[in-house]
Amino acid sequence: MKRAFFIFIAILGGVSNVCAQKIKGSDTMLPLSQKEAESFMKANPKAVVTVTGGGSGTGISALVEGTADIAQLSRKIKFDEKNRLREDGKTVKEIVAAYDALAVTVHSSNKVGKLTREQLEGIFTGKIKNWKELGGDDMKIIPYSRETSSGTYEFFKENVMKNKNYVSGIMSMPATGAIIQSVSQTKGAIGYVGLAYVNRSVKALSVSYDGGKTFVEPSIANAKNGTYPVVRPLYYYYETKSEEKVKPFINYVLSDEGQKIVAETGFITVK
Amino acid sequence: MKALRRFAEHLVEGLLALSGSVTSLAILLIVIFLFKEASGLFGSPAIEKGYVLCVHSTNSTDVLNPYQIKRIFDSETANWNELGGKDMEISLFRFDDIFSLYSDEELGEDYSLLPEKLGETISQNPAILAFIPEKYAPAENPSVKILKIPEISFSDIFGGKEWFPTATPAPQFGILPLIAGTLWVSLFAILIALPLGMGVAIYLSELSNERTRKILKPTIELLAGIPSVVYGFFGLAVLVPLIQRTLNLPVGETAFAGSLILAIMALPTIITVAEDAMRNTPKAMREASLALGATHWQTIYRVVVPYAASGITAAVVLGTGRAVGETMAVLMVTGNAAVMPHSLFEPVRTIPATIAAELGEAPGGGVHYQALFVLGCVLFVITMAVSISAEIISKRNRGKQA
Amino acid sequence: MSKKTSQKIAFFIFRLLGLLVVGILVWILGFIVYNGIGVISWEFLTSAPSEGMTSGGIFPAIVGTLCLVAGSIVFAFPLGVMSGIYMNEYAGNGKLVRFIRIMTNNLGGIPSIVFGLFGMALFVNAFKFGDSIIAGSLTLGLLILPLIIRTTEEALKAIPDSFRTGSLALGATRLQTVARIILPMAFPNIVTGLILSIGRVSGETAPILFTVAAYFLPKLPTGIFDQVMALPYHLYVIATSGTDIEASRPVAYGSALTLIAIVLLMNMLAGILRKCFGKKIK
Repeated sequence: MKRAFFIFIAILGGVSNVCAQKIKGSDTMLPLSQKEAESFMKANPKAVVTVTGGGSGTGISALVEGTADIAQLSRKIKFDEKNRLREDGKTVKEIVAAYDALAVTVHSSNKVGKLTREQLEGIFTGKIKNWKELGGDDMKIIPYSRETSSGTYEFFKENVMKNKNYVSGIMSMPATGAIIQSVSQTKGAIGYVGLAYVNRSVKALSVSYDGGKTFVEPSIANAKNGTYPVVRPLYYYYETKSEEKVKPFINYVLSDEGQKIVAETGFITVK
Repeated sequence: MKALRRFAEHLVEGLLALSGSVTSLAILLIVIFLFKEASGLFGSPAIEKGYVLCVHSTNSTDVLNPYQIKRIFDSETANWNELGGKDMEISLFRFDDIFSLYSDEELGEDYSLLPEKLGETISQNPAILAFIPEKYAPAENPSVKILKIPEISFSDIFGGKEWFPTATPAPQFGILPLIAGTLWVSLFAILIALPLGMGVAIYLSELSNERTRKILKPTIELLAGIPSVVYGFFGLAVLVPLIQRTLNLPVGETAFAGSLILAIMALPTIITVAEDAMRNTPKAMREASLALGATHWQTIYRVVVPYAASGITAAVVLGTGRAVGETMAVLMVTGNAAVMPHSLFEPVRTIPATIAAELGEAPGGGVHYQALFVLGCVLFVITMAVSISAEIISKRNRGKQA
Repeated sequence: MSKKTSQKIAFFIFRLLGLLVVGILVWILGFIVYNGIGVISWEFLTSAPSEGMTSGGIFPAIVGTLCLVAGSIVFAFPLGVMSGIYMNEYAGNGKLVRFIRIMTNNLGGIPSIVFGLFGMALFVNAFKFGDSIIAGSLTLGLLILPLIIRTTEEALKAIPDSFRTGSLALGATRLQTVARIILPMAFPNIVTGLILSIGRVSGETAPILFTVAAYFLPKLPTGIFDQVMALPYHLYVIATSGTDIEASRPVAYGSALTLIAIVLLMNMLAGILRKCFGKKIK
């Protein structure tokens, strides 16, 4: 009897461990989820976690269609996305896994070191075309953006550009890494990337949201104390029904170990 | 026994015939699926599905076209009088704004009070333009007018110059800049590859000895074998910075970078086909030319090249076909800015790159998804036209030889 | 300018162009081999990516690509060979065959991204396979079908008609002739088509973007409905995304080198095979 019980537990354990979890969505969160999955699988050798990108919108669609267990979103779920889930009889749970600060980066030789939100809006809507208008050298501004419908693209549009559309000639890069790459090579470039992506090859600008009174430098500390304005939560959404299946992974992400990875990847921890 | 064997023979023959038709079937399926998904776009409402635009009932505007809507929400159009209405500033109201005005409790269970609150908000503001879900639209409220929304038309898509597939509330699906970008990059790729390829083809077919040929031919075939993503990586890591530095350009990701990579990729096709055409020049014609006192070079450009002209044209057409459809390499080096191309040294966005970059992010079945299938159809039609014209040209070629 | 000088100049330019093409190839290959050779090691080829894909290996991507190669060949090879046999041995030379041949050529001319679109619409969505090996393999299979058909046809054409008439005259049926005489003779050349398509499948990215490829999935697939990583997509991903592109460059060079090595090896193998057996038949 006792042995049967153990076998039962073993099978149960085996089944719940073997379950493959699919995470899909935001490209911004790919490095984070990838590292979390990597060390989660190291800790739980039987677990299988697949991570795929495609953009935040795709993550929710995959949740609706049942092709993913966890949707990773770099923005909050939209009202009609929630509605679509509800029509399918699905309720979702929301977990904030980390925070991300968006940094505006320019080429390291650029003299301009700070910009106001209004100036940023002007640059990305195409109204400001030359660095000389902003106190820099006489040089064409080349704005870099992410592909449409990535969460980063939408968040920047809402938060910084107050919902106006980007200028139509904007360079759009398939991934954030490519933006950093291009900004570091291009003298007149400006682009927005997650703080996690900023490295020595580019210069991150201080940003002012009060019309130029105070400029705040993008850093993890400033994002944590709330002075840096361009900060967004990063979410995991999952169906309430599959809670048992995804909980081990979610718990791992929220654990100290998981949050250490958050910090290592350059995001801001929840706690 | 014999009957059985005959039956088996027929069975196998039937099976073989069936598999013979598989390519035609595949093309048929591709056409059906591509065009089926794409056709959904035409006649879709020009704003996000399930949403409406509402104004105050005193507003004289009844209809807004997609372009006007986009300009309003971009704050390019700021006053109703620019649209033929009264002189008042347009006040934009997005659905999410309601949640900053009222708490979830005030909106009632399951948002049952939402329409009422929306109605209140709209009726208080005569200059409002509200973008809200149809489900919660306060249709009964007498001071609310729901605007008529036009459908996305053929000319919006094929005549439009703005590609903003995710702009809310009115996405813009003008594919003109994408078509132009694709043709632009391919055109210059061929202009670069043609003289180069012709030169090499002449060298291979007329000048080189057997040993060099034996080395050069496989080399060119190797060039054809390199995967396009590797070309893209090479372009990204080497060509783009190189172009930027040597030409002192503001950006390295340009149409030129794309054309260069595509030219390299189209070279093998052009060389092989052109060389075959030149080798087919009858010996008698060459000898006649030489006997008349022409030099080898004169024979080549007065006799061999004109004779092979249609074969060379076929080579160019096939090379163009490859260039037009190339995806990964172009995606990685051209900068992907959706503008009408003006010069070679600006970023462009091509059709294949657009599909590759956006399809993964476009929710299945939505207008964006359908728009990408429209792009797929356009690409399909272009390459089909290319294949068929290559077919016709080489047929003419065969006719001449016979 | 005399006729001779202009000839000299022209020929000099052509030689130069020939050299240039070789130069381009050497440049591209050299760049990747030079940067990638130091990265390649047994461990690189047999371990999973780690440290946010900036180190570790590419084993899952190699396995994924092998799965896709196997899947697409299983589907396309028999079909393509049968189709080739039908067109060359059975169908004669009528309008129908001409039409089929044109269609086959056209299918070969369709850009790979259109196959990706189609594969997503049909296999992933309509057939509900989801992103999976089977969806990716079928899409890639369609892509290489024209290649296999063409090489099969060429292989069959290379066999002199006397073999066919001889066999038929001895009382063999058409099927027997094809199965016992023609196919075994043509087989080596048909195999070149197979090898060429393996090279093609391993290198294609666009068709698998939306049908199978996973960004990160270190566990090996267990069934045909699993997603896999794939070598070309992996290269694309590490070349353009990730938090630290510079740090992942070595992995990118290594992946590019592995990919090129697989593809070029296949092409060379096909070339050698063709040469050997091409002689034998004559």
